[in-house]
Formats: sequence, C-alpha cells, structure tokens
Amino acid sequence: MNVTATSILITLLATTVRSGTILLFPTIGEIFAERAGILNLGIEGMIIIGAFFGFVVSYTTQNPYLGFVVGMLAGGIASLIHAFISITLRGNQVVSGLALTIFGLGITSFYGQKWINNKLPESIHAVAIPGLSKIPFIGPVFFKQDYIVYFSYILVLVMWLILYKTKPGIHLRAAGQNARAADAMGVNVNATRYFWTFFGGLMAGAGGAYLTVAYATFWLEGITAGRGWIAVALVIFAMWNPVNALIGAYLFGGIDALQFQLQASGTTIPSSLLSMQPYLLTFIIIIIATLIVRARHLGAPKELGTPYAREEK
Amino acid sequence: MLLFEKRETVSTKLKAAIPLVSVFLGLVTGAIAILFTRTNPIIVYQALVKGAFGSVYTFSETLVAAIPLILISAGLIVAFRMNFWNIGAYGQYIIGAIFGSFFALNMPATMSRPLLLTIICLAGFLGGALWGLIPAALKAFWEVNEVITTLLLNYVALYILKYLMYGPWRNPESHGFPLSKPFELNAQLPRLLPRTRIHFGIILGIIAVIIVYIIIKKTKFGYEIRVIGENKRAARYAGINITKNIFIAMAISGGLAGLAGLAQLSGVIHMLQIEINPGYGYTAIVVAWLASLNPIIAMLISVAFGGLEAGGYQIQMAIRVPFGIVGTIESAVLFFLLGGEILKKYRIKLRRNIL
Repeated sequence: MNVTATSILITLLATTVRSGTILLFPTIGEIFAERAGILNLGIEGMIIIGAFFGFVVSYTTQNPYLGFVVGMLAGGIASLIHAFISITLRGNQVVSGLALTIFGLGITSFYGQKWINNKLPESIHAVAIPGLSKIPFIGPVFFKQDYIVYFSYILVLVMWLILYKTKPGIHLRAAGQNARAADAMGVNVNATRYFWTFFGGLMAGAGGAYLTVAYATFWLEGITAGRGWIAVALVIFAMWNPVNALIGAYLFGGIDALQFQLQASGTTIPSSLLSMQPYLLTFIIIIIATLIVRARHLGAPKELGTPYAREEK
Repeated sequence: MLLFEKRETVSTKLKAAIPLVSVFLGLVTGAIAILFTRTNPIIVYQALVKGAFGSVYTFSETLVAAIPLILISAGLIVAFRMNFWNIGAYGQYIIGAIFGSFFALNMPATMSRPLLLTIICLAGFLGGALWGLIPAALKAFWEVNEVITTLLLNYVALYILKYLMYGPWRNPESHGFPLSKPFELNAQLPRLLPRTRIHFGIILGIIAVIIVYIIIKKTKFGYEIRVIGENKRAARYAGINITKNIFIAMAISGGLAGLAGLAQLSGVIHMLQIEINPGYGYTAIVVAWLASLNPIIAMLISVAFGGLEAGGYQIQMAIRVPFGIVGTIESAVLFFLLGGEILKKYRIKLRRNIL
C-alpha cells in the first residue's frame, strides 16, 4: 500500500473510532440497564436530550467539557421518568420507552428550533498520548483522539470488571435473572434497577453529548438519526457483554464513516442508498446475532421487562 | 412509603378517568414546557384549539389529519393485542404509498376512476402488508426482536423513498425538486365535501374500524391473538398456531398502515414526495394505547389527536410555536397513562415510614 492510501485508511479508521464512540456509550448503558432487568427503548430520546443540552451548554459557556457533563446528566435525568414508570409504577416498559423517545425528539425539536445552524465556537480537540500515539498505524487510529474517547476505553474495561468480578455486578445480574432470588440474597432489587437505569441514561446522554460537542459540533433537529435504535440492536449483537459492545460500536461507526467518506468523495452511488447502509446492516446483523444467541443459549436476562412486585408471593 | 394493595375489580368510572386525567396532565406538562420559552401557554392553547376546531374549515383539516390515524391505529390494535410490537407503521405507510403510487403514476389517464382507485388502494395495502410481513416472518421463525426490526425498516423505507424521489421517479419537469409527476384525476380519491380536503379515506377508515372490531371481538382469530398476547406458552399448549396468527395480524396491521400512506397521497397530496407525513405511524401508537386497544374508541381519539396535529401546524405558522410541542404533549399523555394504569391493578396507600 502506498503512503496516500495508508493515510486515507488511518483517517477513516480514526473517524470510525469517533463515530463508534457515539454508539459505544449508549450501548454500554443499555447493557447494564437490561442486565438489571429494565428494557429502556427510550435511548434515542435520551441521546438526543444529551445532544441538545450538551450543545447548548457548550455554546453558551464555550466549555465543551462542561457541555459533555451536562448532556450526560440530562440523559440520566430523562431516564428517571422511565425508571419511575417501569419500576415504581410497574408500567409497560416497551411503551414507556417509546414514549421517552417521542418525548426526547419532541422536546428537543421544540426548544432546539432557535439553535439550528449554530456552530460551536469551541469543540473538543484531539490530544495525542505521548508514546502510544507513535505506534505505527494503531497509534494515530486509537491514541490521537480526544479525552472522551480515552474515557470510553477505560469505561469499557471498568464496566467489564464491575459486571463480572465485583459484588455489585453479581447483584445487578441477579436482579435481572431472578429478582425474587436476588431479594432473598439481600439485594434491594428496585434500588439496583433504579441505579442502573439511571446509569443507562447517563451513558445515552454521554453518547448524545459526544455527538454534538465533539463529532458534529452543530445542532440539527433529529440529529441522532436513529442511532438510539442501532444501540438497542447492538446490545443483542454484544450479547450483553461490554467488551463486545466496543466491537459492535466500532463496526457500525466504520460503516457510518465509510458511507460518509464515499459521499464526500463524489461517488456515483446515490447518497440515499449509502445513507441507508447503517440501518440495513444493523437489520441483517440483528438477525444473525439472534440466531447465534439462540444457538448458544445465551439469551436475554430472564426477567428483562418484568416488574418486581415484592409483596406478591 | 407506598403500599400496593391488589384490586379485584375495576370500576368503569376509573377506567374512563385514567385516560381523561392523563390527557389533562399531558396538556399541563405541555403548558409548563411552553412557559420556559416565556410564552403564555393559554394563548398557545387557545390558538391550538382554534386551529383545530375553530371553524368548519379548520375542523375539516382536523378530520383530514385523523384519517391516517384511524387507519393506522386500527391496524396497530390487531398487532398490539397479541403483544407483537409493531413500531414500523412509519415504514409500512411509506412502502404502501410507494406501491400505490407506482400504479397511480403508470396507468393511463383514461382508465376508469373506480377501477384505478381500487387497484391503487389494494396496492397500498399490499405494500404495507409485505413490509410488515418481513419482521413478522423473522419473529415467527427465529424470534428476532420485532421492536428493533420494525424500527430499522422504517429508516430503510425512508431511504428507499428518498432514492426514488431523487432518482428514477423524479418528475423531469419539477426543476430538480424531489417530486413525482402529479396524480391524474382518476388516481385521486374523491373529496367528500366542497371546499375541504376531507376525502374518501375517511370512509375506508370507518370500514376498517368496523372490520377490525368484528375480527377481534367475534372471530376465532381475535380470540386466539388475545390468548397469545396474554400468555404465549398457554396459547401454544392450547394448540394455537402462533406463526399463522403473527402473519395474519401483521398483514392487517402493515396493510392498514400502507393504505393510510396511499390514502394520504391519493386523497390529499396528489403526488409522491419525500414529506408525506409518515410520523402518523408513531402518533397512532399513542392513540392505540390511549384507547386501551379498542378500535372504536381509537377512532374517536384519532379525531382528538388529528386536532392536535392540525392545531400544531396552525400554531407553528400563526404564532411560531415549534411543532415539537405536539410530540411533547403526546409523550407526556402517554407517560401519565402508563403510570396511571397501576391504579387499575392496585389501590395505592401512603404509609408513613415506620422503620
């Protein structure tokens, strides 16, 4: 491969990582919420809420890091609506999640109209890690990124450890597999579910905020463009494992980056057919993932979507 | 702390009160959201009501917006009753519109109008049904999660529409705009009242509601989908053919969404374009749920929500309140409704913490 081709490939893969990071946070968050037994289909809504607050705060304070944190918190707060309805009030989780998505898209379109076409004065920049960024090929792809991407690498590792190697991990898995047994073990099932649903919201907010403060740096109505639903699909692709989520998120980040690069290069393939690819591929992958999950008897957490009613023996 | 006591019976009063109170609280939430923009919510709501029910013409526009909601929600009710989460009405609507348009745009202008209208309506239904059968088959054979598949297919459908409009189906005389040729008169559903846009689709909607009502209340299929919805394992033990029922339910559900899309084109827009209002597919979910999956009540709620949509467009144009307020109100109504449903199952008492 000649030098230009290599540099194009590196640019493409570095964009892949950044585009994948938008999906990585919400996917990790939903994995933990689902592991604890709460299905939250409101990811799309929480992502766009995070994206909107992240953008507005970054714009007004000129501090994109503050915007990121506020966007993340906004996603967390939005998730509490779903938590309250599905945990305390034992409502239908599918419909409540959909309502949260409609809510997020509606409210951000309502307040967001006057922000359309504004561009952030200050966005999050890449900071090369000394040493690591000098590794040929790998360095510029993974270690010439921004702090939030580095944060996401650490997050994947930490969350994997929490899930499989710590007590809170055992508790949250128990809450999703068999709530009554978890309760008998002394786990506060509903508190556990609240906590991880909130975590899921924080992560969705983080993904959205990353989209507006680092990736796109402008605001557009419906800017998330269905990424929340791709994240829901990635949870199954990842088989509820945070490390697999990283692979899945980068895979789709790659498709997104590639179709974008192709469109920018002025190809003759119609742009609508290129824009369709991430959704079409997710569609195909979800079918394959379902078949694999079934063949290996991996399956979703057993009590996913089932409210826990302690007083009913 | 909250104490939950199981209820044995639910009074009709309570059943009716929950959705009504939910709508009220949804409007209050919308008012709070409006307050944050330093606008008087009373003025906004007055304009909204006026824009929806204020005159014969605005009310007719409310009914025009209600037509797709009536058709789609009737179909969704069939799927939701069996716990099949068809979130794909958006895409089924688009594909139905595309299928119907194919015949509307390619048949001779001299063809008899009733014949061509029958063909395009059937094509619209068929298109939506086929798009709905994809997730149905995946669910029936491999248990692929239908929420995700129906949703992803919405985006695929949207990009198919965009592809056609920017590519092969674009009218060469549209000066580069992504519009098809206009429908000839024989491909336009008749308008029912002079000086309004109320079209024959409303009759199709009423027929659909009656048929769906009969299907779910009086037929073996209706009974079977209810059993499947309540307890899939019990249904299997009882020898109910789940695969067959999923296929039939999704053919009806997708088909009616497709018919709604086609009716919107043939009755209102009169050409294929990118903006054909598939968002009704999401609003209809709220309608179906608010109606407790009863198609006749859903028809009435469709008129109310048609008013919200029509009024929402009016306030956007007249007093520049963004249309997003409509989605905000709709979702708030749904939140209160879902939360309120617990009152049907439990009596809730507040107990001071004794710990």
